[in-house]
Amino acid sequence: MIKRKSKSNSRLHSITRAKMWNRSAQEEMVGFVVIIVIVSVVLLILLGFLLRSPGSEAVKSYEVESFIQASLQYTTACENQIEFLSIQDLIVSCEEGETCLDERNSCEVLNETLKGIIENAWNVKEGSAIKGYKLKVMVDGEEKFTIERGNETRNYKGAFQDFPKRSSNYEVSLDVYY
Amino acid sequence: MKIQQMTFMLIAVTLLFILVGVFFLSIRLYNLKKIASSLEEQNALLLVSKLANSPEFSCGNAFETSMGSCVDFDKLISLQGRSDKYSDFWGVAKIEVRKIYPAEGEVLCDSSNYPNCGIVRILDKNVNTQPASSNFVSLCRKDSNGIITYNKCELAILMVSSEEKRT
Repeated sequence: MIKRKSKSNSRLHSITRAKMWNRSAQEEMVGFVVIIVIVSVVLLILLGFLLRSPGSEAVKSYEVESFIQASLQYTTACENQIEFLSIQDLIVSCEEGETCLDERNSCEVLNETLKGIIENAWNVKEGSAIKGYKLKVMVDGEEKFTIERGNETRNYKGAFQDFPKRSSNYEVSLDVYY
Repeated sequence: MKIQQMTFMLIAVTLLFILVGVFFLSIRLYNLKKIASSLEEQNALLLVSKLANSPEFSCGNAFETSMGSCVDFDKLISLQGRSDKYSDFWGVAKIEVRKIYPAEGEVLCDSSNYPNCGIVRILDKNVNTQPASSNFVSLCRKDSNGIITYNKCELAILMVSSEEKRT
């Protein structure tokens, strides 16, 4: 009788243990699935960020570089005794405080011409790909002349060109924001 | 029950590995796209620079000093009528120079309105083209104010388009 009772007790015990094992396995599995789902979601989010194709840039850096180079060669309306001055020569002339042959201030002509050039080349307006620009002329590391328009954004392409003239070092730089 | 659990686990693990694989694949794809875009940019720059500095376009030493990215306006006008001879020479479908400053509008250049015009169309094969590669250039010519003859350089943009490849 006692033997039978102990036998039924041990059976009951083993069933309970099996149930507990089963429950614990189910919990582990659910945990594992939850981890997989979380990892998958994170991976999918990262995938989304990566696959978002970076639209073609509105401005290429070589364009800014070539713009500065071509602008410096532009022939202005400011004339000296020999020739019509290029932007590069006009920058030097402005720094030296010289005037044009028609008595106009060289800095005024420079400002007017550079503004015309840059406004025609980089169209900053509502809905345009170009958000703004900043052109700087430095002489021996000191900022002498600035033309800016629009807003400064985090995306920009910039370039600079320097040239020595009359024992000074000139630097023209342009940042175009898009 | 155990088989069901095992199947469930295997599907989950497989899914995870597939996702990880796709993730790394997309990273490689992203890098490839970046390299392709950079190569495309370099190629466009080289193509436009090559054209701007070719003897048919460049100023050379015609304007006393040697200037970089300088295109001779006179050469362009004389090239305009010879596009049939050069159609396969540059390996592109369209070449155009547009004056930026001073702005002259959309007036096509020819010998009658030169130099008061805005666009010099050197080559146009009238085929479907890829988006144009462009670069700023100085458009230079000799000018005179009645007293002196001087070099007149204006700002322009050189645009080159290749023929669209059929896939």
